[in-house]
Amino acid sequence: MSSSSRVLGDDSYLSKIDRLFLRLETVLTLAGGIVIFLLVFLATANVLGRWIFSLPISGYIDWVEQAMAFFAFLGIAYTQREGGHIRMDMLVGKIQGRPLWVTELVSVILMLSVTLVLIYGSFLHFLRAYQIGDSSMDINLPIWPAKLVVPVALSILALRLILQIWAYSRAVIAGGDNPIAVPLIEDAAAVAAAEAKSLLGQDEMGEGK
Amino acid sequence: MSLFEALGQMDSISIGLWVTGLMLVLVVIGVRVAFAAAMAGFMGLVWIFSAKMGFDRGVLVAIKMAGTIPHSKVSTLSLSLIPTFILIGFLAYHAGLTRALFEAAKRWVGWLPGGMGVATVLSAAGFAAVSGASVATSAVFARIAIPEMLKLGYDKRFAAGVVAASGTLASLIPPSAILVIYAIIVEQDVGALLMAGFLPGAFSALVYAGMIILMAKTRKDFGPPVTGYNWAQRFESLPAAFPIFFVVGIIVVCIYGGVGTPTEAGSLGAFVILCIALKKGMRWNELKGALMETAKLTVMIFTIIWGVLLYVRFLGFADLPSAFSDWITSLDQSPMMTLVFILLAYAVLGMFMDAIGMLLLTLPVVYPAVIALNGGDAVTAADSAFGISSVGCSIWFGIIVVKMAEFCLITPPIGLNCFVVAGVRPECSVQDVFRGVMPFFIADALTIAALVAMPGIVLWLPELMGLS
Repeated sequence: MSSSSRVLGDDSYLSKIDRLFLRLETVLTLAGGIVIFLLVFLATANVLGRWIFSLPISGYIDWVEQAMAFFAFLGIAYTQREGGHIRMDMLVGKIQGRPLWVTELVSVILMLSVTLVLIYGSFLHFLRAYQIGDSSMDINLPIWPAKLVVPVALSILALRLILQIWAYSRAVIAGGDNPIAVPLIEDAAAVAAAEAKSLLGQDEMGEGK
Repeated sequence: MSLFEALGQMDSISIGLWVTGLMLVLVVIGVRVAFAAAMAGFMGLVWIFSAKMGFDRGVLVAIKMAGTIPHSKVSTLSLSLIPTFILIGFLAYHAGLTRALFEAAKRWVGWLPGGMGVATVLSAAGFAAVSGASVATSAVFARIAIPEMLKLGYDKRFAAGVVAASGTLASLIPPSAILVIYAIIVEQDVGALLMAGFLPGAFSALVYAGMIILMAKTRKDFGPPVTGYNWAQRFESLPAAFPIFFVVGIIVVCIYGGVGTPTEAGSLGAFVILCIALKKGMRWNELKGALMETAKLTVMIFTIIWGVLLYVRFLGFADLPSAFSDWITSLDQSPMMTLVFILLAYAVLGMFMDAIGMLLLTLPVVYPAVIALNGGDAVTAADSAFGISSVGCSIWFGIIVVKMAEFCLITPPIGLNCFVVAGVRPECSVQDVFRGVMPFFIADALTIAALVAMPGIVLWLPELMGLS
């Protein structure tokens, strides 16, 4: 049930690295957003071209299929940083302090382990496509760049998870309720209020006030 | 016998149960759902393959198989629809359509008893046509509809309840991201499901409106109708709300008329809304914000899709879905009774889980069982248990399950829409909203019962398209 959570910062190394890394993640996520934007233009041009001039874009399907890996993966680390991947917070919402940070630490270590496996597996998947020069059905776009996106994006996610392991370990040692560089758990009311606030900010602008 | 040998000799269904149990434990301790499913799926594959070909080769085969899934499952053409729908939703706020819609609805239906409530429901239903998200719809209408209702003397609990409930309409009326996800998981036609959501969505809105009129008629001091608009004023209010009708028109023409793919419809819609938003003064900063939010939500949805599909790949080897189906169909009660129990289980689960996560985690096992209950994969309407063909059954079940998941957005303890309304309107406590939304529970229960009893409401449009 999580959308976006607060991440605290201070002037420690951990927090500095967190914010530096956030810049990279932000750029990648925005790149994903721009690919979505281009997809919208491509599909619009394709459908209009077909209707009006009976002239669809050649290789439209190939381009879309290659683009998908980019917007599906580039933002994966950013989404983890912001606490945006959904989970069930029924249990973790109830506990506090050290027990909570231990649970979170275990959970992030498990995520890292499966991510590492997938980095290796998806790299092999890329390598095969690269070595045999696999290409798309219609206009023979090379497939390997889209396949390479997966291990690259997952590697960045792995680095983010390592940062979070560092941060949660610190929190386990230090205790307390406000660790830095990790998304904090907020109850449904706080999440909803934050979400509503961000939407309404936009709405007000939309109404031209 | 060592532990390893014992593990290797387990039959595939037991492996399936153990791995599924592991996944549930991971989900409960708060591992992100996508990764819990991927981890369980990978471990299951390792288990199954190493039982067959020894540990070393088994692990390598499992890694290779798991490694192909994220890329191959994500690069599915029909999924490209999802980001376009999400982008429409985020841009719609900048296009300033909500206030225009509400104003138009007020002038057209405000004269009815409880007219402002009816206007809220109808304009939220209209806004749903450019927004696929319930929570967002509730947040926006809490801001514009509640103050007007309070000014006219409506009860604040009722006003908050109407808004929280109206938000749920977004998930059935196209474009609905959750219906696209359902279609992908059960391998049905995306266009058919989107069209199928149309009538039930409109039907829900009418049931809400009917409920409000009834309440206004039977209770004293409910809140006055809004009268005094003439026809000229009514028609004047339409042009500002026109883009909504245009986007609905595009989607219907593209999908229903078969002239474009759903992705093209979504893109054309996003393009139109983008032009309006730019005209209304949206600039790079706002556009950047919308793109970031769209990208984040898209990644979230795609990650959970490939994570769950990795688990589904394992399930296929473990035969668990067919074992569950066999068990369900062997139960000594009518199939309809079993279906009702399944839906009730969803109602309970939905109280604790996000709709997308809940559907993705359960459908791989539950969906084949429901199809089996109906009589199997290739059953005709005449021979089936529910009186509909297997394709019809998959569409029908999808709509009901999504309606059920939305129902949970307004039920305690974590009905998110209610929290959002309370978050936007400081004068309403969460308890007020939950109290105010109560009549709409009844309306929703009636709607769900009607959809279950009369599959025709769901299937009429897709059948007209020749899709089921």
